[in-house]
Amino acid sequence: MSIKVGIIGFGKMGKLHLRVSRYMKDAKAVAVADPSRRALRAAKKEGIGDLYDDYRELLHRADVDAVIITLPNFMHLEGTLAAVEAGKHVFVEKPLAMTSADCERIDDATRRQGVKLMVGHNYRFFDATRKLKATYDSGAIGDVVLSTLELVHGPLAPSLESQPVPEWYFDREKMGMWLLDLGYHVVDLFRWLFGEAEVVYARLDNHYGFPYEDNAIVVLQSRAGPKGVLHAGYFAKLVFPAFDFRVILHGTAGCLSTDQLVPRNLRLHAAKEGIANMLRRITGRRIKPFSYTYFYSSYVEEQRHFFDCLRNGGEPAVGAEDAFGTIRLIEDVYRYCDRVPSTAVRVS
Amino acid sequence: MGTTVGVTRTSIIDEGGIRDAVFRALDLVGFEPSEAVETVVIKPNLRFYWDYSTGETTDPRVVASVIDYVRERWNARARIAVVEADASAMRTRHAFPMLHYDRLASEKGVELVNLSDGEVCEKEVTVGRHKFTFPLPRMLFDANLFINCPKFKVGPYASGNALHITCSLKNLFGCISKPRKIGWHPQINQVIVGLNKLIRPHLNVVDGIVALGQRPVRLGLVVAGCDPVAVDSVVARMMRYRPSSVQQIRLAEKEGVGSAHNISVVGENVKAISKLFPSRSPLAFKLAWTGQLWMLRLYAKLSGDAVPPLLD
Repeated sequence: MSIKVGIIGFGKMGKLHLRVSRYMKDAKAVAVADPSRRALRAAKKEGIGDLYDDYRELLHRADVDAVIITLPNFMHLEGTLAAVEAGKHVFVEKPLAMTSADCERIDDATRRQGVKLMVGHNYRFFDATRKLKATYDSGAIGDVVLSTLELVHGPLAPSLESQPVPEWYFDREKMGMWLLDLGYHVVDLFRWLFGEAEVVYARLDNHYGFPYEDNAIVVLQSRAGPKGVLHAGYFAKLVFPAFDFRVILHGTAGCLSTDQLVPRNLRLHAAKEGIANMLRRITGRRIKPFSYTYFYSSYVEEQRHFFDCLRNGGEPAVGAEDAFGTIRLIEDVYRYCDRVPSTAVRVS
Repeated sequence: MGTTVGVTRTSIIDEGGIRDAVFRALDLVGFEPSEAVETVVIKPNLRFYWDYSTGETTDPRVVASVIDYVRERWNARARIAVVEADASAMRTRHAFPMLHYDRLASEKGVELVNLSDGEVCEKEVTVGRHKFTFPLPRMLFDANLFINCPKFKVGPYASGNALHITCSLKNLFGCISKPRKIGWHPQINQVIVGLNKLIRPHLNVVDGIVALGQRPVRLGLVVAGCDPVAVDSVVARMMRYRPSSVQQIRLAEKEGVGSAHNISVVGENVKAISKLFPSRSPLAFKLAWTGQLWMLRLYAKLSGDAVPPLLD
């Protein structure tokens, strides 16, 4: 039987997850909730008939099995708790909540209700990062001593359709500061690769006049041994498909970088994947959605994993406990900056 | 004798070097206000939330130098406002602090004004067979001196038009107080000329410190002049475009906004600068842009694949 899905929050990420969900076997998005009329019009245009301006109404529907939460960061806690209490399985975009304490509340509620929850850590689902981790886990590069993780984007990447950037992006309390947004991915990847870690050094700074940091250097030491230098920024004029992300592992038996695993020419990659999908279509096979974009196929993989877990009773790869670990490490970075003001600049 | 366009360069790209280049360019132009300078409006070009190092946005140090020039040469106590309107994707209240214009304002004691917030008057204008009504801020017409501070950059892609250049003429598009300007894109050249018939900057000071062609390039350049058509013609030549091939220049000249002929260029050599500029073919740009989107949409239709919302 098909899993019926509701989408809560229909901005750019909600629309993306709806489009991704169309390619999920045995799952179907049936309803969208968003207080904005414009967003609901957009959902209708995408073929969704059941629209709600209050997500609580959507959660009252007994036939909805799972929800995808793509609300603004500061609303993740209330939206996720409401969905969990309503007995829905939840896929929620990162960050799970604004604080580790709130993650614990969600974790408790999820266990109590016996529903499944997955947090959208899509960088773990990149083809390149999965291959990198598999190679490292196989021992092919020996023990990693040093690593570099870099992610630079923004500021506030514009879409082709000119629309103002949502106001909550400029609000420190609602956005949760930058490390909790995009910088989150590199912190999470370090934990994913090497386990729990401590902050050795951090410097948060501000190139643009944001009300929060827009670039950071963080040095982490994992309990397992590997150290990592994390560079993360939100200051570059990058227009899709430009992509400034890499993980480099320096091991005792070799070195491996995601740059070796990501297609060198993304336009050529798009052409190749496009042709392959056309051939799949002609020969009656399933296409690989978004594979031509490289970047967006990670969203397909993470959603596929989530729905597989719902069908087969498996545990999602990124649950509330995992998200708690990443957010707690980010909180450690901020705590370090408060403790060592001479070496770490915290933007006021 | 035709109009004068001053062209200067600095090899030292810092506050002092930029100030020197701006002062020299303005001195070469030799503009003298016809009335007492009490109120001054300066209009930079702020694009999205990208800073001056990308070549998209006017360098606040250029604007700071223009402010110094006004105060030193004409009136130390002039009331100066730096203005910009909201755009479809940009909100001025965020752009000013993000792009460090708030720091400029506090250092120089000038006001930052969002043109989308103030008093607006409806102005009608005819360009050829096209008639337009624009909501324009009243303060632009009340100031004693209006200084246009555009960027030296190739034009954006707008509703089927890849503009050759974005400079003095195009910068006035950002004076329309209505944030959602995208509706004017299909007739962008006529709209630009219409605005230039209504709003007449006294001076144009082009920021080419970091210019934008195929990629950003540090030219350390300042171009100044009173006639926006003449200034844009010189800039077009520096970008290796024939001024007559740039529709907005051709149309502006035809509509009497200014002249692209009999220009006296003083200062740096135009040809030498043009060799440093990474020129971009508007036709190739347009074809690449439309071609990619057309192919993407065709592919999505035929294969049943989806398009990311970012590319809608």
